[in-house]
Amino acid sequence: MAEPPIGIDLARDRDLRGRKYHAWIRRGLMTLIAVIPVLALFNAFGQHPHTAKASSSAATLSVYAPTRLRGGLLWEGRIHITAHRDIKKAILVLGTGWAEGMSMNTIEPSPVGQASDNGKLEFTLGHIQRNKSFILFMQFQVNPTNVGSRPRTTVLYDGNTKLASINQTVTIFP
Amino acid sequence: MDLAIRTFVVFWFLLLLMRITGRRELSSLEPFDLILLIVLGDAVQQGLTQDDYSVTGALIVVIVFGVMQVAVSYLNFRFPRLRPALEGYPIVLIEDGNLIQRNLKRERLTPEDLAKEARGQKIESLNEVKWAVLETSGSISFIPKSDS
Repeated sequence: MAEPPIGIDLARDRDLRGRKYHAWIRRGLMTLIAVIPVLALFNAFGQHPHTAKASSSAATLSVYAPTRLRGGLLWEGRIHITAHRDIKKAILVLGTGWAEGMSMNTIEPSPVGQASDNGKLEFTLGHIQRNKSFILFMQFQVNPTNVGSRPRTTVLYDGNTKLASINQTVTIFP
Repeated sequence: MDLAIRTFVVFWFLLLLMRITGRRELSSLEPFDLILLIVLGDAVQQGLTQDDYSVTGALIVVIVFGVMQVAVSYLNFRFPRLRPALEGYPIVLIEDGNLIQRNLKRERLTPEDLAKEARGQKIESLNEVKWAVLETSGSISFIPKSDS
């Protein structure tokens, strides 16, 4: 038998003694890695939006926005209010999860007034007539350092009367 | 801070990907592979620095990559038990002119691939080869028979 080249151990490098299972480790890891984009297709890492709804006799509040996001993404949150009766002074109170670590690019239409409600964002929308809708479009970008999960609440008031609320959790992947 | 963490994570992920992709895929740079390499670099860069255009940010990324590279090299040197995971071992593909089919199959190599590499090293026939070894770098070393 020919002398093997320098540094070659025939048992290890030719007969693969003790290395036969290495190929299976490699294949297993490859399969695991391939699972990641498949999970992504099923919205595991965002940013497909979905609708959350809450209704009362006075109004229906719905939030159409992604709850899973990634650093740097541009995304839209759409809040749809349908009044079942006249809402004299519609006020939308958004929890800090909406704004924390986000760049707010625009809010359309601009609220009549903006204030802080105990640290939350308070947007006064004004009068919404019975059977009419009000849609608030908000455009955001996720700041890259904003990673983790936090609650995101949306509450609709008529003056001081709470009409509907939606509690969500937003998760931001790095 | 998060820049260093992102670089650390990306470094280990790239190392893992390179190790499990198979060494031949890494060493062959066909035109399409070259394009993929550029696209890969661009995709990784976006995730690493994102909107950070600063020199400080660039320095942090480059330094972490450099330190990690040295660390892996040191681990490879200092702890032989880690060598199969970090670098792997060579694989003998031809012994005395005979193809070792099991090893070729393991590395997804065909006799045609071997012949192509051999031609590149001015070897006319695989029968002239005493040893062919797939190195950890992905290159194939051919040792001709002494009478050829």
